[in-house]
Amino acid sequence: MELYVLFGTFVFLLLIGTPVAFCLGVASFATVIYLDLPPVVVFQRLNSGVSVFALMAIPFFIYAGDLMVRGDIARRLVALAGAFVGHLRGGLGQVNVLSSVMFGGVSGSAAADASAVGGLMVPQMKARGYDVDYAVNITVVSSIIALLLPPSHNMIIYSIAAGGRISIADLFTAGIVPGLLLALVLMIASWWVAVRKGYPVQAFEGFGRIGHYFVSALPGLVLVAIIFGGVRSGIFTASESSNIAVVYALLVTFFVYRSLSWHDFVEATFAAVRTTAMVLMVIGCAASFGWLLAFLKVPASMVTLLQNVSDNPIVILLLLNVVLLILGTFMDMSPLIIITTPIFLPVAVAFGIDPVHFGVILILNLGIGLCTPPVGAVLFVGCAVGRIPIWDAVRTIWPFYGAAFAVLMLVTYIPALSLWLPAQFR
Amino acid sequence: MQDRMKSIAEATGLLARAALWLAGIGLVLMTALIAAQVFWRYILNDSIIWTEPASVMIMGWFIFLGAAVGIREGYHLSFDVLLYVLPDTVKKILHSVSDLAVGGFGVGMIWYGWQLAAKTAGNTLPSLGISGAFDFAPIIGGGALVVLFSIERILRRAAGLHTARFGEEPLEDG
Amino acid sequence: ETTLRSSDTHPDGYPTVVAVERMGEMLEERSEGRLCIEVFHSAQLGEEKDTIEQTQFGVIDMNRVSLGPFNNIIEETQVPSLPYIFRSVEHMHKVMDGPVGQQILDAFGDHDLVGLAFYDGGSRSFYNSEKPITSMADMEGMKFRVMQSDMFVDMVSALGANATPMPYGEVYSGIQTGVIDGAENNWPSYDSSGHFEVAKYYTMDEHLIVPEVLVMSRTAFDGLSAEDQELVRQAAKDSVPVMRELWAAREAESEAKVREAGVEIVTDIDKTPFIEAMVPVYEKYVTSPVLQQMVQDIQATE
Ligand code: NA
Ligand code: NA
Repeated sequence: MELYVLFGTFVFLLLIGTPVAFCLGVASFATVIYLDLPPVVVFQRLNSGVSVFALMAIPFFIYAGDLMVRGDIARRLVALAGAFVGHLRGGLGQVNVLSSVMFGGVSGSAAADASAVGGLMVPQMKARGYDVDYAVNITVVSSIIALLLPPSHNMIIYSIAAGGRISIADLFTAGIVPGLLLALVLMIASWWVAVRKGYPVQAFEGFGRIGHYFVSALPGLVLVAIIFGGVRSGIFTASESSNIAVVYALLVTFFVYRSLSWHDFVEATFAAVRTTAMVLMVIGCAASFGWLLAFLKVPASMVTLLQNVSDNPIVILLLLNVVLLILGTFMDMSPLIIITTPIFLPVAVAFGIDPVHFGVILILNLGIGLCTPPVGAVLFVGCAVGRIPIWDAVRTIWPFYGAAFAVLMLVTYIPALSLWLPAQFR
Repeated sequence: MQDRMKSIAEATGLLARAALWLAGIGLVLMTALIAAQVFWRYILNDSIIWTEPASVMIMGWFIFLGAAVGIREGYHLSFDVLLYVLPDTVKKILHSVSDLAVGGFGVGMIWYGWQLAAKTAGNTLPSLGISGAFDFAPIIGGGALVVLFSIERILRRAAGLHTARFGEEPLEDG
Repeated sequence: ETTLRSSDTHPDGYPTVVAVERMGEMLEERSEGRLCIEVFHSAQLGEEKDTIEQTQFGVIDMNRVSLGPFNNIIEETQVPSLPYIFRSVEHMHKVMDGPVGQQILDAFGDHDLVGLAFYDGGSRSFYNSEKPITSMADMEGMKFRVMQSDMFVDMVSALGANATPMPYGEVYSGIQTGVIDGAENNWPSYDSSGHFEVAKYYTMDEHLIVPEVLVMSRTAFDGLSAEDQELVRQAAKDSVPVMRELWAAREAESEAKVREAGVEIVTDIDKTPFIEAMVPVYEKYVTSPVLQQMVQDIQATE
């Protein structure tokens, strides 16, 4: 009965349009009252849920991303990517994917990637004879790359949801190979669609231009080197690197590019406050919700339930993937990570799956969820920058969904794709 | 009714603006503290031990203040599918039910946040040396704004004024 | 049929978790099924600071926690947390089984809690990735991660090293990359955290031998009949020898494992200068007459 109160209140509030954070919070509040427990626990979990040092990486990486979009770093990265692959068939599609690789290497937000890369690429592609839906589809699906490549604050959310005992550095490294694999498969998919539609080719601008774009984009690329080099050489920890990203973005945009005005700075700060307050409030309220799930022994019954279905890890992984994909089409990423990790991670571990590997599967899976209706934040952003209705985008997005799903299956069933690289660094 | 509501909205708009500025200053301060922590440890080979708990506490303030402002400005993530198919009057009632639920949660933030603060007031926070009650000051302060902005939304709706939702343009009068 | 919900931050199968489960079995048998215990392990209900508050408010009924989080709440708990206060684990057992232990258990009464029993937390020693530490001079300028507690920070400073705050989950990569040089912990945690893979020098200085405590919520305790209260107290006492046996086995197992992995262990170390360096720490923290008397009583315990 307690579970009906918990999930019933949650679903009811969700359906009447209550903000997700408060759906979680109010549902927990109602259930605790129903159980006749002191309600103080709900607000204690909320408060402790947001008082975690490692969470600080989320505002910092989001802040750094905002500063980079406003301070011209993002545009320069896109120009560099264009110089590399613009001359291939459907070249701007490839540019779009490669831009997400570069942008994703400095930001951890798929929505930021879709708006930064899409805002630049979609109009360009439209002007050069590409269909808008094609441009939007690539923008949307390739932004999942930003979630996999470090830095990724969603990996940090996962580590925290797992009890803070999974190394963030390992998670960051584990996402690299799957992220690059996704980029490769998406480039193939966009080439294939481009050939079928007969999209144009851009002239190769020569190595001189590549050099020029490279120099112009260098400060953005250096950030990647600083984050990696700084963490690997022990100057700062993985979560402190987010802070260095902010400091560096401020230095470059204020002093090197001189592209950030005081007004831009204030707006970037407010934008970061708004986004992170929203995300972290969800995390805090989900901590109350998660506490109740644990208190009511839900994870344990889930394990038993799945063990009754099958004892084959391959089947279990497929089931977990399907459940996550379905959930991901209805809900957003960070609340889902927080809600599902305490339930699914013990299941995965019980079936011998490495927590780091499971983290990569989870992020990729929920990343696909960001691109699918009805609730797909990244899909919405893509359609907004392309100014097309969601239906127009979704009608032709299948090759890209297919590519992402193929990578999901590869990542799920070949643990080495995720675990090989972190092992090399250990 | 509308006119009086508009002048109230002006006051709450100022309050939201002030909260946003405070939260923004908090974010910049956090940036400075953690940068100092890295600098001291790596360059000066000396550790500052209070930067971590201090910035965690600042983070609490900016999350709860930012979340409260988000209610007024409507930037929280929500899920609107069902509402599209319902008639406007039903929609308005459900929106008010939702604001009432959020406001109720805000009351909980104040009331139970206070209980926690009272119970921990005699403790001392490690490295900061201040009372444990400070841990819960952000949730109480944020809760007060959540309640205030939820009531404002209900009143605005009753007065026939616009209330912002996720994905829409923000309020103009703020 | 009352189920007492008990929290523990350690994983399933850990000595403290198993001991509370055993206590539950004894209780169920002796109460003829009236009372049983359900253990929520692996910090499912929150970290120690949080579950202490939950126990105080009566949200959960029992809690197995370290004394560290109580140091800023209950003055008396600071004494067993003092560096080098116990000469050995046996000394600690004697003290905690005696009047000083009872005095600390009683102190929980003023904070909506009932102190039931003391468990073992092992002895904590320093480990690092740089060199075998054989004297205080070796620690000069090294960076060690300690738990966020003023006393432990002061202890590390008094030894000439730098105390560096860091979340537990980042310590492994912190040592590996060199953000910090090392940390300090007992054998089981040194083993389970994998820190021995990156910090191969362990120095048995045993600076902290801090017992852990099993407490009950005052609300839950008062809700039991006098007879059942006595059953709970007795079962908690009876779980202590079980716990000590499990702990010793676990410690031996972990020690053997890290030795096998090629960790260099410094056992031959003169602790006297380390202990002498603690004088300012004792001066700063042992301030009230009550605490001073407790320190004297502990030192007088054979
Ligand atoms: Na990224
Ligand atoms: Na893209």
